[in-house]
Amino acid sequence: MRSSARFALLQAAALGLAILFGALAGSVILLAIDQNPLYVYPLMVRFNLARIDSIVAIFYRATPLLLAGLATALAFRANLFNIGVEGQYYVGAVAAAFVGFTVAGLPRLVHLPLTILAGVLAGMLWALLPIVLKLRRGAHEVITTIMMNAIAGALVLYLLEPGLLRDPAQAGTPRVRTPDILPSALMPLLHSALRAIGLEIPSSSRLNWFLPLGIALCVFFYWVLRRWRFGFEVRAVAHNPSAAEAAGISTQRVQFYTFLLSGGVAGLVGLSDTLAFFGYFDIDFPKGYGFLGISIALLAKNNPLGVVAAALFIAFLDRGAQGVQVFAGAPREVITILQGLIILAIVVGYELLTRYIRAQRKREAQVAPPLAPALAATGEGGE
Amino acid sequence: MDLLLTLVSAALLASAIRLTIPILLAALGAVFSERGGVVNIGLEGMMIMGTFWGAAVTHFVAQAFPGVAAVAPDLAPLVGMLAAMGMGILFALLHALITITFRVDQIISGVTINLLAAGLARFLNIIFFRVATQSPGIRGFTAIDIPLLDRIPGLAPLVTGTSPVIPAAIILVLIGQWVLRRTRFGLRLRAVGEHPLAADTLGVNVVMMRYMGVLISGALAGLAGGYLAIEQGRGYLEGMTQGRGFIALAAMIFGNWWPLGALGASALFGYFDAFSLRVVNLRVPYQFITVLPHIATILVLAGFVRRAQMPAADGIPYSKEEE
Repeated sequence: MRSSARFALLQAAALGLAILFGALAGSVILLAIDQNPLYVYPLMVRFNLARIDSIVAIFYRATPLLLAGLATALAFRANLFNIGVEGQYYVGAVAAAFVGFTVAGLPRLVHLPLTILAGVLAGMLWALLPIVLKLRRGAHEVITTIMMNAIAGALVLYLLEPGLLRDPAQAGTPRVRTPDILPSALMPLLHSALRAIGLEIPSSSRLNWFLPLGIALCVFFYWVLRRWRFGFEVRAVAHNPSAAEAAGISTQRVQFYTFLLSGGVAGLVGLSDTLAFFGYFDIDFPKGYGFLGISIALLAKNNPLGVVAAALFIAFLDRGAQGVQVFAGAPREVITILQGLIILAIVVGYELLTRYIRAQRKREAQVAPPLAPALAATGEGGE
Repeated sequence: MDLLLTLVSAALLASAIRLTIPILLAALGAVFSERGGVVNIGLEGMMIMGTFWGAAVTHFVAQAFPGVAAVAPDLAPLVGMLAAMGMGILFALLHALITITFRVDQIISGVTINLLAAGLARFLNIIFFRVATQSPGIRGFTAIDIPLLDRIPGLAPLVTGTSPVIPAAIILVLIGQWVLRRTRFGLRLRAVGEHPLAADTLGVNVVMMRYMGVLISGALAGLAGGYLAIEQGRGYLEGMTQGRGFIALAAMIFGNWWPLGALGASALFGYFDAFSLRVVNLRVPYQFITVLPHIATILVLAGFVRRAQMPAADGIPYSKEEE
């Protein structure tokens, strides 16, 4: 298939153009605030790639991002919009913290998986209501998940009230947090494993096993979607629901399980921070991964492997923003804006490309039969 | 008994009205956008732009013309409100371009606009005011007494010393209801949201109508943000919209995609909001009350309260060429 190779190339070109567009728009902003883009961008790249602490920070930042991207992408693959990743990971993190500090006396081999499982189940639970209401009552998942996000935010605040999950030992201090999670539930860091293969990373880094776990999950779901029967069903449902139904695939069942899987992965998003950085859940817990996850899924065109790359790219920009702020004195928000513009450019670019490819395929299909010239001429532009 | 008195106290009701207005303006905008068939999740971002530009422009106008400010103190906030509206329109134009012209998924565009607006507000605040999260304090509109209504004894606390934006917003809702129900523009907008192909066949310019719906929603979301920053906050504070753009979507759904319905829903949500700020001495945790609007919206969407009747072509990009 020569044309499919050409389309893949076009897709890569669209991605490149979108990044270029973002960089150019970013340049305009930089020039407007008296910064030289030819100085700022190289500085950003050097800051990111020439320092081991930057590289480690990028991978640490990418850990929750790739999980959030994977969660969103999974739902997208079954034509479902999971805006609820944000809320799902709040409840996932609280549930994991709860199991982490209450269940005592277990060895790490049991306690840690149990803690992670609590996060996954809580995420699934938070995804359950929107998908049930969608499939049974026709309630659009976009709005219900947005509402569930707000409810999750309030629930988390409520659970941190005194007498519930708030650490009594912190009474009298302004700290609003749970007690410390027991060591047996904390995720081990990657230092010793990396040392074993000859990589020494700064001791201050909190890079942990959620990174390889997250990447493994992305690879796993790539494989599931490509090779498993379930993956085939998901693709069939997304591509043509009525044809899938006719072939005996239950759209409802596929959408239900995919959305729960999405919620389960979302439940993992906050755990790298909870179980390897803070060691407790508090009121200033990092927020917004869910929305970044949407951007990442879009950049990756919902391909689980692409999600890893897209998460690293966003993390790269985030880290670069810090370098730009410290060493060039330009506000890091320039890079946030640049991120937004790249995503906008990429969604428009992909859309135009998809339409172009569809038109090309139609033309090729029309060229194929013997009466091609006449048909192609009438088929142009119409229908 | 004490509780009952608190529930209807003038202070609580006045606060409820103040909290209703931003939700109401944005919800009215959402009605216009979705009646034309375009879902606008970007309302929150447009509101954020409204809060920032409203405060910033009010501040700069007041500073640049101190003489004028002494004579006509309402000029600066007025220009600020217009700027907030203008910036809402600008972002709505972006949303319209992406979703109507390029036919990209409306949710995706909205989510991205929200991210962009949040980053932009921080950036601009740093450029203008050297800090990321807060603008200098500003002076809002001179408070007014609403004529005639302020003579009614019981109503006095609610209609004296209020922001002029409050009656203006109510009037806008009434106009909006009339426009959608009775005018040619309103009928065409609704036709485009219900069945764009049929409207197109009858000669209605689908693309233009949809642009109008989205731009109106941007203007109103900008106004909502402007009101928050100029009248309520007396300055911009990062995150001051507190997800009200999303609550506005909820109010629109709750109000069944009609301006008057959105008014009722916004009033209810505003009341919950005001109430949640005052239940410190109750046994109910305030978080339960803050989530009541969200729970109510889920129930409505699920058809447990009554059937939600959204425009049939809401959220679906329209193109002549395909199908």
